[in-house]
Amino acid sequence: MTTYVLRRLALMVPVAFLVTIGVFMLIHLTPGDPALIILGEDRSPQAIAAIHQQLGLDQPLYVQYLIWLGHILHLDLGRSITTHQSVTTAITERLPATLELGAVALIWSLLVGIPLGTIAAVRRGSIADRLATGFTVGGVSIPNFFIGIVLIFALSVSLRLFPFGGYVPFIQDPFENLRHVVLPAIALGTAGAAINMRFTRSSMIEVLNNDYIRTARAKGASWRRVVFIHALKNALIPVVTIVGLQIGGIIEGAVVTETVFTWPGVGRLAVESILNRDYTVVQGIVLLAAFSYMFANLVVDVVYGWLDPRISFA
Amino acid sequence: MRRIACAIAGLVLVAACGGGGGSSPSSGTPKAGGTATIALESELRTLDPLDSSLLVEREVFYNIYDSLFTIDPSLKISAGLVKSWDVSDPTTYKFTLQSGVKYQDGTVFDAQSVKDNIARYQTAATSRRKSDLKSVSSVEVVDATHVNFHLAKPDATLLATLVDRAGMMLSMGAVKNGGQNFSLAPTGAGTGPFAFVEWKRNDHLTLKKNSTYWKSGLPYLDGITYKAIPDVNAILAALKTGDIDIARTIAPKDVAGIKSDSGFIYRDTPAIGFNGFELNTGAPPFNDAAKRKAVALAVDRSQILKNINFNIGVVGYGPIPPSSWAFDPNEKIYDRANPAAAKAAATGFTFTYKTTSDPINQQLAALLQSQLAAAGITMNIQTEEFATYVQECANHKFEACNVNWSGRIDPDGNTYAWWHTAGDFNDSLYSNSQVDTWLEDARVNTDQGKRKQDYVNAQKQLVGDAPYVFTVFGVSAQISSNKIHGFTLYPDLMIRMAEVWKG
Amino acid sequence: MSNAPALLTSQASIRRTRIQLLALGRTHPAVTFATALVALLFLVALLAPLISPHDPIAVNADDSYLPPLSPSHLLGTDELGRDLFSRMLWGARVSLPVAFVAVAVGLFVGGLIGLVSGYAGGVIDLLLMRFIDALLAFPALILAIAIVAALGPGLRNAMIAIGIVAIPGYARLVRALVLQLKQMEFITRSLGATPMRLIVRHLIPNLLNPIIVQISLSAGFAILAEATLSFLGLGAQVPTPDWGQMINSGATFLENDPWLAIVPGAAISLTVYSFNLLGDSLRDALDPRLRS
Repeated sequence: MTTYVLRRLALMVPVAFLVTIGVFMLIHLTPGDPALIILGEDRSPQAIAAIHQQLGLDQPLYVQYLIWLGHILHLDLGRSITTHQSVTTAITERLPATLELGAVALIWSLLVGIPLGTIAAVRRGSIADRLATGFTVGGVSIPNFFIGIVLIFALSVSLRLFPFGGYVPFIQDPFENLRHVVLPAIALGTAGAAINMRFTRSSMIEVLNNDYIRTARAKGASWRRVVFIHALKNALIPVVTIVGLQIGGIIEGAVVTETVFTWPGVGRLAVESILNRDYTVVQGIVLLAAFSYMFANLVVDVVYGWLDPRISFA
Repeated sequence: MRRIACAIAGLVLVAACGGGGGSSPSSGTPKAGGTATIALESELRTLDPLDSSLLVEREVFYNIYDSLFTIDPSLKISAGLVKSWDVSDPTTYKFTLQSGVKYQDGTVFDAQSVKDNIARYQTAATSRRKSDLKSVSSVEVVDATHVNFHLAKPDATLLATLVDRAGMMLSMGAVKNGGQNFSLAPTGAGTGPFAFVEWKRNDHLTLKKNSTYWKSGLPYLDGITYKAIPDVNAILAALKTGDIDIARTIAPKDVAGIKSDSGFIYRDTPAIGFNGFELNTGAPPFNDAAKRKAVALAVDRSQILKNINFNIGVVGYGPIPPSSWAFDPNEKIYDRANPAAAKAAATGFTFTYKTTSDPINQQLAALLQSQLAAAGITMNIQTEEFATYVQECANHKFEACNVNWSGRIDPDGNTYAWWHTAGDFNDSLYSNSQVDTWLEDARVNTDQGKRKQDYVNAQKQLVGDAPYVFTVFGVSAQISSNKIHGFTLYPDLMIRMAEVWKG
Repeated sequence: MSNAPALLTSQASIRRTRIQLLALGRTHPAVTFATALVALLFLVALLAPLISPHDPIAVNADDSYLPPLSPSHLLGTDELGRDLFSRMLWGARVSLPVAFVAVAVGLFVGGLIGLVSGYAGGVIDLLLMRFIDALLAFPALILAIAIVAALGPGLRNAMIAIGIVAIPGYARLVRALVLQLKQMEFITRSLGATPMRLIVRHLIPNLLNPIIVQISLSAGFAILAEATLSFLGLGAQVPTPDWGQMINSGATFLENDPWLAIVPGAAISLTVYSFNLLGDSLRDALDPRLRS
């Protein structure tokens, strides 16, 4: 196991390196001068040149890349071009909001997906099953921003039950915080709920068909006992994997959901920074996201292997 | 929801409805106390007038800092930190300052402070105010309350410039104490009615009452909270739920609804900017004046005003809006769309119009496209991502480019940089020596009557030559809960809170 | 070992796969239903110019914001007086080609990489897979947005961006299949020539099936991705009638005229649902384990 983990970690290095080159090239080769964005209505050739010099944008690309790479190796992500705020601070400021959104969305997807999947598996072939299966496909087919818009229309604009968007920190007002996170979390988590439902259902079916389950039933154990104690525990193993992979998908989806609900998270920061040509922020976010993704994959693989004794790390 | 492009472009003016201006009827005596929450259309980047370039930042500045001069609702230059001024000598301006004014950190405001501030704006490395103060060659301290500005050459626009950021006075002590983070936390730096308390980006910005404000009795409010809400629909929603008390802009489609709601106040007055699109005179097809004229004749401004702006604002003809003393009410060549005259000027050509993906801009583009088609002109819409579009228009890589201007209180600010040869905003590469002469004379001529004549002449020429096609003039609006009183509407879009009270 | 008999047998098994697929309709009604839906969508896209009551891009400013069931406008009009029903139909002409191109880019580029990587093995495999890993490590939507920002907003660039995002999926799939194939080949070589026929008869369907499923599913994903990009203003631009863009502009008017956003949203959902259902039902039908 240790060699496996070490090997994976070692492989991350070249990948990370490629990611830094990729993101740097992509954002720097995008047309559009950040100096013009910064100056807004105060642009003049002298001001533009001054900013280029201040930000080191007048240097050749490879020099800029090496400077940035040097900073990263010292764990310094630099400062935002537009706001001069430290990139690390800019990200950590907005991370709690995204994490909260992602967590609540994940909880929603589990709360809806696992019970529905269990019911569908237990009542396989019935109307309930067919409806639920329809939901598995439908749930991932509706664009999450559309779900968001419909929710806003139905529950916010029409019924005034929930706010339009925005964020209230938990520390400030827990009730308002929850009120604000409900709609975006539902929008974000519905696709995940559908996926969880499908996997719970299929793995439950597989498990329920297993010999030892049949034996337990033959011995007279009640359905409920069988389902909850034996089947669910084993069925959840692949679900754990899926949830692990979903975390990546939730961060993705957060980008759009944060935009729709004006949620001050990292996703929105990323999009705004791309549009503002705020090179340092974009580079910082992508780098962090890439590392999180790779680490998450590693953790999921390890946990999966630990849960399922049939898996060995050759 | 979201308007990414809008959130960034402080340049786009949302035009609203025409109506009365000036100050709101004061119902009752002002009550002290309470806080007001104001919506900002985007998040700020800095709280230091030195390196500020966004409109929203100025909305906050006017409440923290005082400027040397102010304006009244008719845009007339009035006293600010300068009590009286003698500009009889066009190259030596003599200012008498208010006495007994203290900064929020307790230090004294005096002539030396004025000199230090101007020097800072002119020389600091990150200063964006250098070109504003180009004409000031030196500042002379006569005594504590008298200061002279020596000008390199006459500049009739200087006083107007000193109303805005370049004239805002900061405590040098506070600047020094703030250090590198001063622009994020300018504690005690202004002389204005409200003092900075805290700024949590993307959450809120709070100011508190300046208890030593030099205008005694003011302000009434205990504090102000600013919230950045980038989406106009979200602003309306926040108004309705009471999350905010005052907004500067909402979507034109919602104005009628707010007006008829007795829980809210809506008033507007003509603003100081202009809207439309620029044409590149340096390359085909618009190096041909006839084609430019054809486009200008074919555009149906009334339809734009109705469909895009819901009839809020007025049709625009030239760069000088109705709020300005230099406005020419006789300039009406393009009142109605005239496809016949357009066809007579030039027809059967194609051009590309650059704009952003913001839905309102897209809607406008589609509308223009159909209007021009009626005159036999084919307009191709090229949507670009905001940063790319800004760069291409600034670098003259366009045929037509959709750019608006938020405006300046002096007509020079709406004309010189745009259409003087080699002006900073002269993306159109327009060059007319006669117009140059008029604009240059207007800059230095101290007789306002002669200045107005210069601007009338220049505008006539510009409208005829059409390097820019003007569409509508927007408005400056008060949109607030009915608990807000003492709100004076200014055409420059700024919300000045010193006399506002809540009750 | 002569290749000729193997080739003949593989052709036969490809034919068999096709017959197998066609026969699926009978045993798995979900496949029929999904295929019918997808076919309907293609039909709508093809016939939109003929069956639309109005020109989808004709501006008619005086007739804007008409509600549904207005005379001659079944679903009403939008902010510039354009007929919503016509725009909905034409939107299919925009979305379906997107799915095509994006999937094609992903399949061919990704497939090529996976093929080379799996076949060559060794250092080449190691390097190529690190590229794929790096591509995968980028948050997909942010990568797509960055690519479109770099190339400029527009439908074509959106397709390219989505195609690029789809590459890793295909690369990994094809590589895994090639590795499977190599393993089979190794086993048969060590066992002797005879089992080859059997292996190939089972192998070709096993190779094609996952790819077919992946194509259906990634088509659905591509349409969702394009809708998202257009919603953010980075995809199709005016005057192209694109569902995502229609939701974007329609969302402004949610309080006054919700249909402007709901109609295109429903259209997208239905389209993606059809492709997803097709992929899912095919996967269920072709999966030997689930054959009852």
